[in-house]
Amino acid sequence: MIGQAFQQLKEAGVLGINNRNAEYIMRYNPRSLYPLVDNKVLTKRLAKQYGIPTPVLFHVIENYGSMKNLKTMLEDIKEFVVKPASGSGGSGIILIAERTRNVFLTQSKKVVTLEYLSYHISDILSGIFSLQGHEDHAIIESLIHPDQVFSAVTYQGVPDVRIIVYRGVPVMAMVRLPTKDSDGKANLHRGAIGAGIELGTGQTITAVHKSKIVTHHPDTGNPVSGLQVPHWDTMLSIATLATDMTGLGYIGVDIVIDRDRGPVLLELNARPGLAIQMANKSGLLKRLEDVDAAPDGIFTTPEKRIAWAKENL
Amino acid sequence: MKRPAVLLALGLLILTAVLLLYRIIGLGYPVLPASTGQAFHFKFDGHIKSDGGDTTLSVALPSERPGLIISEEYFGSGSLSFNLFRKESGRYGVWIGQTGRDGEIVSYRAMILMRSPGTAKPKSPVLEKYPPLTNKDEQTAAEKITERLKLLPLPERIETILKLMEDSGSRPPELTFFKFMEGRYSQSTLLLTLFRAALIPARVVDGVRLTEGIVTKPLTWIEAWNGQTWEGLSIDGKETLKDQATLLALTVDGTPVVHVAGGKINDTRWDINRQIVGQWRHNYEHISRSERFLDRWSLFRLPTEFQQTFRILLLVPIGALLICILRNIIGFPTFGIFMPVLMALSFRNTGLIYGLSIFAGVILVGYAARRFLDRLRLLLVPRMSVLLTLVIVCFTLLALFGNKFGLRQVMAVGLLPFVILVMTIERFFVVVEEHGIRTALQTSAGSAAVAFITYLIISSETLQLTFFIYPELLLSIGALQILIGRYTGYRLSELFRFREFRDPS
Repeated sequence: MIGQAFQQLKEAGVLGINNRNAEYIMRYNPRSLYPLVDNKVLTKRLAKQYGIPTPVLFHVIENYGSMKNLKTMLEDIKEFVVKPASGSGGSGIILIAERTRNVFLTQSKKVVTLEYLSYHISDILSGIFSLQGHEDHAIIESLIHPDQVFSAVTYQGVPDVRIIVYRGVPVMAMVRLPTKDSDGKANLHRGAIGAGIELGTGQTITAVHKSKIVTHHPDTGNPVSGLQVPHWDTMLSIATLATDMTGLGYIGVDIVIDRDRGPVLLELNARPGLAIQMANKSGLLKRLEDVDAAPDGIFTTPEKRIAWAKENL
Repeated sequence: MKRPAVLLALGLLILTAVLLLYRIIGLGYPVLPASTGQAFHFKFDGHIKSDGGDTTLSVALPSERPGLIISEEYFGSGSLSFNLFRKESGRYGVWIGQTGRDGEIVSYRAMILMRSPGTAKPKSPVLEKYPPLTNKDEQTAAEKITERLKLLPLPERIETILKLMEDSGSRPPELTFFKFMEGRYSQSTLLLTLFRAALIPARVVDGVRLTEGIVTKPLTWIEAWNGQTWEGLSIDGKETLKDQATLLALTVDGTPVVHVAGGKINDTRWDINRQIVGQWRHNYEHISRSERFLDRWSLFRLPTEFQQTFRILLLVPIGALLICILRNIIGFPTFGIFMPVLMALSFRNTGLIYGLSIFAGVILVGYAARRFLDRLRLLLVPRMSVLLTLVIVCFTLLALFGNKFGLRQVMAVGLLPFVILVMTIERFFVVVEEHGIRTALQTSAGSAAVAFITYLIISSETLQLTFFIYPELLLSIGALQILIGRYTGYRLSELFRFREFRDPS
């Protein structure tokens, strides 16, 4: 019974977590390179060298001492995001969309004070949101204004596109759509919808919500499949460059589409989750094996890798 | 890529096997060290008081025979002199002397080790005389009754006599005989007379039952020779004893177990305790005297005060293996990686029920406190420290109340890993916030379950002994851990997670 179930998953080319860790992450992602993706300040710096746009960095708060200048730091900024430099899973992020002098309004219309913000930043500094619980830095960066393309299928928050890149080849992609359940966050385990994207065309195919296949957004009621992701080719090149820029062979690239700036690299992930397989209703393992079987010639330039992926995956 | 790991694991397994074989075949270690025998702590105590002059007390003691080893004997004689006599019927401890006005306590202690008797068969006994009280006429009458039985094989002869005893002789000649005999003698004398008449060797045995407990009188039963072995019978001859293996004979010829002349003995008691510790001692004595290579490097050579720690320590990797299986093959989350193992270790101080209650209580109280602390906006490290202080204050109060109301167990918190508990509170809080209370409770239940199973494992004396004698078993545990480390197949939980892919549609 169980053996048969295992066989079915294998035949569907599903990548399991043990296999991902042992055969892909451990083999292709050297530990020494992790800081490049775990620390968003480093990621931003690197992206800049490669000409990849990221949210504008206003301030980095590195210690409790510099927090007393918080008020002056925020003086000229109308809207901004506070996040941990080494956060994971979207925790510890506050989006400020409006403000008066001392009162701030988050994107989900919650009123917070400057005092609250500084408490939150000291939490970030103490490392409560960081991956290993080490002391962390807080980032204050520009707020993203999501492109209207997904507004019909988004409940608050910012939808983002996750592309898995293996050995420089984009292998699978999805767009993550916030819902009421996910509290406007684009994280699948918090209840966001993940809609698979066809690599060749950039159109959404199926979608998954709380590990069930769905066709419509639960809050807005609009269909989530058949949507064209704008700037698709640009996104693929950003994703593909992420490997060249970090040296990580198995990576998740998160991109948001800003109304004004177009695709912006939000963050990189050295241990991308497996739920993307459900969003695409397609197994990752099969695609990874296809990449391994691809002719050596395709790996020479990013353009060739993208072309091969659009053709074959 | 998998080959080196699998080869290493295989190598470790082979090394384990080689070392095990060497110890078992080369050094003659027991294959199943904890189950080939049982050990009992045998205690006899009595209070003796002289009538005025010298008193002689004779007490039958257990004696060695195939399958039964006696070690660590100790005699307490007070002001009396003590001697040990060995007779045909058994061993006797004899205390002689004059006690004070308040009498003396005499005592005997021994460790009895029961092992498989092997192939040694008991000697065929000679036919004894008739029970001394009976006269010639009675003996002739008994012979007449049993005349026809002499042609039957021994086991059936015994069976027929037991049947006769049960019916008290239903036919006239037998009836008269039984009527007459039952009037004059005890059931056991009657039974022995019949056995003797039918030429079956039989004897009265006095002894104790080798089960946990205290008795104030020895037990008497009858044994009849069935050609192969002694068959135990109840003293009235009405039934065969099915649990004869648990009986320890002290005298076998009707001699009383305790005999006193010139005084009185009170408060006799036999206290029997089953002990696995005796096994330790037995192996210890065997190994610490040997000069063979692995014996010299045995853990039994460590100073005794450190041995206790290693007994437990050697089993901790099994707990870790369990967590490997749970997390990587089943896919069930626990708080922290080794938190359940630490919990299990702390259960050794607290006991299981109280330990699990602590776990539940601390999480509950800690969670409430953590919710409240959230409003105070304390920084991470001081906040955790506050929780730690709070938890320790709670335990201190509990211990004080426990002392007041005589609840010993609530004071026995020992070196419970409080710090780990506080980390768990923090983890629990984060899991509740991020994944909901359901997931948090599931994870707690999983952690408690692993702690429970690990506790059972590390408290198993059998496993402790086995790993202590064969520490190389750790290599095979390591091998299994390596194999799980290279298990890249699906987790059981993924069958559920990716169930959409298993759907034929």
